[in-house]
Amino acid sequence: MKNPFDVSGLKAAIGEMDRQELAKKFKDFWNGKPHGERRLGELYEGKTGLYRHREWRGVKDTLYYFYMIWLYNYITMVMDLMKYGGVVNFAKGVWRYRWVGQTYLPVLHWFDRGLEGLRGPALAASAWHYRGMVNSTIKQFQRMFKADTRLHGGEKNEAYWHTIAHNETVWGGVFYPWSDKFENVSMEMIPYFVTCHVNSHTVLNYIDAVQSIGLPGDPCPMCQAEAGIFVQDDVPDYAPFAIICNEACDASVATSNLQDWFLDKPIFALPMPMLFDDPLVKKHCMAEIEQMWKFIEEQTGVPFSYEQLVKKLKLQNELQEFEWEKWDVAANTEFYPINGVAQALYRIYQSQYGDNEIWHEVDRKVRKIMEKTVERRTKTFPNTRHRVIAWSCAPLYYSNWCTWAYNCWGLNVVINMDSLMFDMTIRTDSYEHTLEDMAQYHMWAPMRRMAVGGMKHMFELWEYMEKFNCDMVAMYDQLQCKGVQGLHGLFEDEFRDRDINAFWIPHALPDSRTVSRAEIRRLINDYMTTVMHEEPLDPSLLEFDDSMTW
Amino acid sequence: MKKLLGKLLKLVLLANVALFIVFFFDLDGKLLFNVVEPFLKKHYDDMERKDTMKSPYDIDKFPKYEYQ
Repeated sequence: MKNPFDVSGLKAAIGEMDRQELAKKFKDFWNGKPHGERRLGELYEGKTGLYRHREWRGVKDTLYYFYMIWLYNYITMVMDLMKYGGVVNFAKGVWRYRWVGQTYLPVLHWFDRGLEGLRGPALAASAWHYRGMVNSTIKQFQRMFKADTRLHGGEKNEAYWHTIAHNETVWGGVFYPWSDKFENVSMEMIPYFVTCHVNSHTVLNYIDAVQSIGLPGDPCPMCQAEAGIFVQDDVPDYAPFAIICNEACDASVATSNLQDWFLDKPIFALPMPMLFDDPLVKKHCMAEIEQMWKFIEEQTGVPFSYEQLVKKLKLQNELQEFEWEKWDVAANTEFYPINGVAQALYRIYQSQYGDNEIWHEVDRKVRKIMEKTVERRTKTFPNTRHRVIAWSCAPLYYSNWCTWAYNCWGLNVVINMDSLMFDMTIRTDSYEHTLEDMAQYHMWAPMRRMAVGGMKHMFELWEYMEKFNCDMVAMYDQLQCKGVQGLHGLFEDEFRDRDINAFWIPHALPDSRTVSRAEIRRLINDYMTTVMHEEPLDPSLLEFDDSMTW
Repeated sequence: MKKLLGKLLKLVLLANVALFIVFFFDLDGKLLFNVVEPFLKKHYDDMERKDTMKSPYDIDKFPKYEYQ
């Protein structure tokens, strides 16, 4: 039997290596392999996307990942669970609701997928964005579980009476006047939207559930999934009333009907107008927000507080002002330390949820990192070949495609449409101005302003492309969004007329079965080889099977 | 006291090494993918659920909540 401690073979092998080779091996160990030599695709186990081993990024960055991302986030997640409602509530929630148990336990793999290949400040700043989203997610589902009558033997406790439920595209800011006494938690943000990014398997149950009751499969799968969680009786009963809206489109109106049926609670409908450029429509929207405030006063018995509203809006404006600073660095330098997926997800989450302590904490950390990269002129994505702007709505099951695209092709997604939707602060100098700006913000909802908000807004792409110094467009093509489908040909014409390099990413928002991740990669590979005539930076990432991955 | 500190240091070091092995070889991911998720999925699939289609839809139960 071979002696496992016999190292003579190893010694002989080392002896044969020349000094240069040894030095190179040590350098790769110390600094991590340079971009072109990483072969990240070889780290995956077949189909599952699990790693044979996690990436060795050099001593410093591997230890940073181990201590400051992996271990730090496991520990802070437990602390967050305890802070926001306790481990017992969490365990009860996991046992009762598929969307939390199946989705959020493997959350660190979500970090892994989004942060692959990153080094130094880009790794640190992007990871802080993920930390912010995790904290906010735990805060919300723990509030649901704390207030949920189903987990507390039918009891309507204090938390239940002090929680406001709403649709995920109702901006959290409209509840600021009551934010010192009430928590607002959207019904779909955590059970649906975030799950698709973390574990794309979960949502399929809900899409199938809504089709199983005879509804057609061709409307937007987001609307299907959001209705499906109600059909599956998988929404906690955590609030005495709800604010709903038509979200971005007509399919969501059907979702609202089902929610009205299954919630069986007082509901106020706060529509999002389609033609939001019309000043009369804005007036109408302002009146509707005021009506909703009256509804909340009536339901809660607590009067509207303008002081509280202004206090929170000022805090939200601080977040927006830092976001503008970030955009400035992203647009005009090579020192922006946030990768495409962290930028997109954090920004849409933060701007839709509204003010939250964790966003300020994350922004403070990111500001420090960004100031250093700018001061030291650190090229954060040194292998950038193209600066890409991503436009329209992204595939939720493959939001980390841009991490892959940078590692494989040097495509650096600098900015995306969802980040740019709420390009405004809100005036707080008078009630009238505040209400007017809040109506504007509400009308610029996700999937509304630049996705189905009319051609003028869809075509804001050209302006932002120039502003962010991008030379390429990643154009999302949500196959089941009738609004965007209608504009496909117009974009094709414009790309040709303007001589813009653009590739399409077809997808079905949360449903990974319609266009697989491998198919998305194949389309980009084809474009990069046949149109751009470029060679991949990491050929091991061209083709791999991740069909079963989270 | 010195012995205790030495033992504590060894324990911390050992815990670090063990955790690093879990991290580096993605053992947390493998456990969650191969054991925890299948177990929970089976639990959720087997769970008895309310037939929501049988719940009545009384559309006039609540007022219209219209305000001036």
